[in-house]
Amino acid sequence: MIAASRLPAVEAGRPAASVSYQHVTKRYPGQDDAAIHDLSLEVQAGEICVLVGPSGSGKTTALRMVNRTVEITEGDILIGDTSVRQRDPAELRREMGYVIQQIGLFPHRTVAENIETVPRLLGWDRARARKRADELLGLVGLSPALRDRFPSQLSGGQQQRVGVARALAADPPVMLMDEPFGAIDPINRERLQNEFLRLQSEIRKTVLFVTHDIDEAIKMGDRIAILEEGGRLAQYATPAELLMAPASDFVEDFVGADRALKRLALMRVRDIDLWEAPLAFVGQATGEVRAKLNGAEVPHALLVDSERRPLGWLSESDLRAETVPQTPDSSPDPILDLDDVMRDALADLLASETQYAPVTDRDGRIAGVLSIEIISDFLGSPEAKIEEHAAVERPVERPLSE
Amino acid sequence: MTAGPVQLAPLAGQVEIHNRTGENASCVGQNKVFCPSWAFDNFDRYTTPLVNQLVLVLVAVAIGFAVAFAFAILSHRQRWLVPTFTAATGVLYTIPSLAFIFLLLPITGLGWTTAIIVLSIYTLQIIYRNIVAGLANVPAESKDAGRGMGMTNRQLLWRVELPLALPEIIAGLRIATVSTVAISTLMVFANVNTLGQPLYQQIDFKTNIVIAGVLSILMAIVLDLLLLAAQRLLAPWRRPSVEATV
Repeated sequence: MIAASRLPAVEAGRPAASVSYQHVTKRYPGQDDAAIHDLSLEVQAGEICVLVGPSGSGKTTALRMVNRTVEITEGDILIGDTSVRQRDPAELRREMGYVIQQIGLFPHRTVAENIETVPRLLGWDRARARKRADELLGLVGLSPALRDRFPSQLSGGQQQRVGVARALAADPPVMLMDEPFGAIDPINRERLQNEFLRLQSEIRKTVLFVTHDIDEAIKMGDRIAILEEGGRLAQYATPAELLMAPASDFVEDFVGADRALKRLALMRVRDIDLWEAPLAFVGQATGEVRAKLNGAEVPHALLVDSERRPLGWLSESDLRAETVPQTPDSSPDPILDLDDVMRDALADLLASETQYAPVTDRDGRIAGVLSIEIISDFLGSPEAKIEEHAAVERPVERPLSE
Repeated sequence: MTAGPVQLAPLAGQVEIHNRTGENASCVGQNKVFCPSWAFDNFDRYTTPLVNQLVLVLVAVAIGFAVAFAFAILSHRQRWLVPTFTAATGVLYTIPSLAFIFLLLPITGLGWTTAIIVLSIYTLQIIYRNIVAGLANVPAESKDAGRGMGMTNRQLLWRVELPLALPEIIAGLRIATVSTVAISTLMVFANVNTLGQPLYQQIDFKTNIVIAGVLSILMAIVLDLLLLAAQRLLAPWRRPSVEATV
């Protein structure tokens, strides 16, 4: 398992466990309608299952029944082969990471002490818990220097990372995350989502993730369970299936009219054929560069350093000089990463009002160029086309150009 | 009971003793606000009342805290008890202290027991309400997180709720302690030799009033500062230096 390689040697990674909802119903006393109706759902070990739905759809209730912070009225939930109803609630919860929207760090405990909470409950000695806390700080990308700070001394994003580290502390087979990034500003949310996906690709936990945001669901989920009012399962499918074949009008409405655009959220920049830009090096004769520009896919030359890292775009006036100047007229920004999600890449392009953006690999070396045109070609391709009838049924939403 | 109408006879005696310097004698004779020399020579007559009063305050607040804490923990899980306890301690708080002493007279008589009972009971209201308020103000998300991570109710109480309520609990202790110092001088009427003893014995002798009064005030201030220091020590996350970095 990849998890074990980066996860600390002291704790060999525990295998993720499957979670199985079996005809689960939840009725609150004094309420006529059940909050959850006969919910059955299989979450494979190591997958992220997103529970999404409008408010009142019972998604948080469904999540909380897994660790019995909400009790099940009828039916059962199995973790692996064991019913949660047979477990002591406190012991059960110590085996599940728990992340909530308000983060819920203990204000009176330092960052390290917060992370050590579950290990200490499990009776680990101080030294082992402390070592584990330091490892987890590294895992979530926080400096060990923060270990003795109090939560009030951290930014919102840092607090959320500590929240995730705390949930992972005892290496639980299952993680429960209730709108974990809901209270974070959009820019940091994006970053935290990406970080969590990267982390998950290494630790491979079974994650139940609640959100009301379909975009977040599509981005985070291996599978998405869409719940409607009363906790009825409307569809349980992969994000792509959901976007291409919504099972009902409710799902179609919930997923939204911009399904084609949303598919971009499922792709990474590396999944699409990039263009090649003519590369130029500092001190190179501009004549050579001009020659390369003829018939190139990208009509501008990209200045790179000796490691082929992009420095900027060369303008006409840059090329009028004898040799390629050290400082080009226009900056290379935005520089995209091969692992960036396509939708974010498009947003970056639109935000910086450029046609082209250099794409780099993990080492920052140029891997190609993404253009608005590539994306619009993709959106027009049969691969991205979703059944036409959706547009016909709702003529109002047809593109204005038609 | 020794406290009673004040006579000037002892005062004359003091003049007798302190006539070594004319200045001193005239200071006492003229009953000036404060006669330093007299104070220096006669300080030992205040040490026993001072120590008595300190012990009385510490014991009364400790007992009051123990009882209020037990009530608070009991009513923390049984919320319906909160109004009952609040009302009960509130009624007790309104009984005038002298009346309280006389009420206890047939049961515990005069002396330390009566004084301690009266003073402890007065602390209940403030301490109880502050513990309850402190526990109620613990952020819901901290409790949710604690429970969700597998803390039992007891662990949640001792590891999350009480530590977070600590600043408010100590705030209650500070008010209770300061007011107990003040009321404890009255315990001279329960026949305990507190600073009220010299105070009421020579109520016309200004230097005496100043010494007994200042000692009592100093005791309140010192105890208050000690509790403040304890709070800083026990609740480092609430230190201004920590909060300022936010």
